[in-house]
Amino acid sequence: MAKHSRRQVLVLGAAGAAGLAMPWVSRAHAQERRITVAAYSGIFEDIYKKTVIEPFMKANPSIRVNYVGFPTSAQNLGTLRAQKAAPQLDVCILDMVVAKAGANENLYKAVTPDVLPVMKQLVPTALIEGMPGPAVTFDNVAMIYSPKKFASAPTSWKELWNKAHAGRITLDAPPNAVGMGFTFVANKLAGGTDYRDYSKGIKLLGEMAPLVQSWEPKPDCYASVTSGNADLSVGYNARIQTFSRQTPDRIAASIPDEGSVFQINTINLVNNAPQQDAALEFMAYALSAQTQATFTEALPYAPTNRDAPLSPEALARTAVTPERMSKMINIDWLEVAKFRDAITEQWRRNVLTRS
Amino acid sequence: MNTVSVNENPFGRKLVLACLLPILLVNIVAFMVPVLNLAAMSFRAASSTGSLEEGITVSTWLGLFGDGYYWSMVGRTVWFGILITIITLLLSYPLALFVSRREGSLKAFLVVVCISPLLISAVVRTYGWMVILGDQGVLPSLIRASGFTPPRLINNETGVIIGMVEILMPYMILSLLSGFGKLDATLEQAAGTLGARPFTVFRRVVLPLSLPGILLGCLLCFVLAVSSFITPKMLAGGRVSLLATEIYDQAIVTLNWPLAACLSVLILVVFGAALVLYGRLSKIVE
Repeated sequence: MAKHSRRQVLVLGAAGAAGLAMPWVSRAHAQERRITVAAYSGIFEDIYKKTVIEPFMKANPSIRVNYVGFPTSAQNLGTLRAQKAAPQLDVCILDMVVAKAGANENLYKAVTPDVLPVMKQLVPTALIEGMPGPAVTFDNVAMIYSPKKFASAPTSWKELWNKAHAGRITLDAPPNAVGMGFTFVANKLAGGTDYRDYSKGIKLLGEMAPLVQSWEPKPDCYASVTSGNADLSVGYNARIQTFSRQTPDRIAASIPDEGSVFQINTINLVNNAPQQDAALEFMAYALSAQTQATFTEALPYAPTNRDAPLSPEALARTAVTPERMSKMINIDWLEVAKFRDAITEQWRRNVLTRS
Repeated sequence: MNTVSVNENPFGRKLVLACLLPILLVNIVAFMVPVLNLAAMSFRAASSTGSLEEGITVSTWLGLFGDGYYWSMVGRTVWFGILITIITLLLSYPLALFVSRREGSLKAFLVVVCISPLLISAVVRTYGWMVILGDQGVLPSLIRASGFTPPRLINNETGVIIGMVEILMPYMILSLLSGFGKLDATLEQAAGTLGARPFTVFRRVVLPLSLPGILLGCLLCFVLAVSSFITPKMLAGGRVSLLATEIYDQAIVTLNWPLAACLSVLILVVFGAALVLYGRLSKIVE
């Protein structure tokens, strides 16, 4: 065997090592960034993954998005609370009232149009004072009804007080957010003019109580109607519309003439998020006009980007048509947060006890 | 033969301590630390929006003690626990006694049948009850078919009691079966030979000897009934507010973790009281 000089051995060795290391070197060059987005589970998760997460990853091959779904915003916040010392989440989409609680604990980092220029395209109501992140979707409380029992969609909330439906009504009572929102609807029906004085609404709800089958339908208010256990209920418009598309003969949505209340989801950057830059890129994508339109076409949450190119059909399914907007009850949810315990207490004492 | 007890043998004592150390560590990490964390959380306060406020305070505890609503909830929870335990005992006792009197493979088969519901999740079983007891369910439909108006069997206290009793019966049966080990058939025969009627034999011989099993089963079922929240949540329809369901609401819905922690500590106190009562009654029975 021919003898090799020490230099030749070193050169060959270095070349071999470099060859073996090449796959890792090239991979390191195009290092993948991973972010975790926490939002709702269920139908929201299914559609958000298809219309936002997957297209985002396709458009940004170097960023992988891990979606974590929670049944409620409170569970979303609770998870982040537990991770405060070392957050694993990067972006959180959750109800603005819950997000405010997280903001007070410095769990989210405030974003401004300077770091997130797409915010300049958002409608003014999407930029809420005191909130760390902008609104990403608008939804509203709507009536759920069974098309089998109604020849045409109920046009008034008063249908829930119709004794013909005794035992066929389900409603999520406060502290559930739907029940909280419905309190203000009932207050308006009863002649209340200021949502901060909701006593008239509570009295009217007490009159409805004997007709209610369940104050906590399981698995949820939508399934209670779809399964045929109830004929009327109250839920969020986007979800009702989506379930209605799946089973049109079993469930449908109505936004009654008396109007409704908005529910706002905000998108928030987690303080000390592991991948802040990638997280901001995702937030910009999620708030962009085209993404917002695509999501709304699939799930009728109203967009917050004013330039979102919506089809007339998609717009009609949301509560942001000019006609409906004029009937919406104007509520400051951050103000409501201050007395929501009192509302729950009033329900316990004056509504639930009458059923 | 000379024997040396573990206490007298220093090496044996160290061995025992070494063997106990892993489970001790697991208990400290998995039980004591979370419980202490819970206790610490109860001395914080939540703002109206649900955010945790800085600093230590007794305001949450004072608010809890000063609110009659929570006292009535504690009373209702304990009452429900006792009621569910008694019904579970009454339904399980004859069944367990019947099984304990069988022999061989038949007995083994019956034991498996009795505890087989434990193989299915409580959530699934509770959904089963929703299907059976719901307004359009099997039972109300049968009652309607018989020409009667069915009472409401779900979304109220009745539904919770039915669901909880069914879920707890396997635990009660297992406890009773273990207690029936002390029953000696010859004692019953002797009592019969001396002229005791069957009911007297049951009252004077069978029941006293099965008391340890009854006490154990009652303790287990009471604790499980008080701490259960899935079944009450699903079958109560929001009409039955118990400690465990309130803890869930405060922790998950309104985000008031300090109040949820206070209520959790309160439940631990209820469990402690149940354990003390069990200890005392066990001594009396023995």
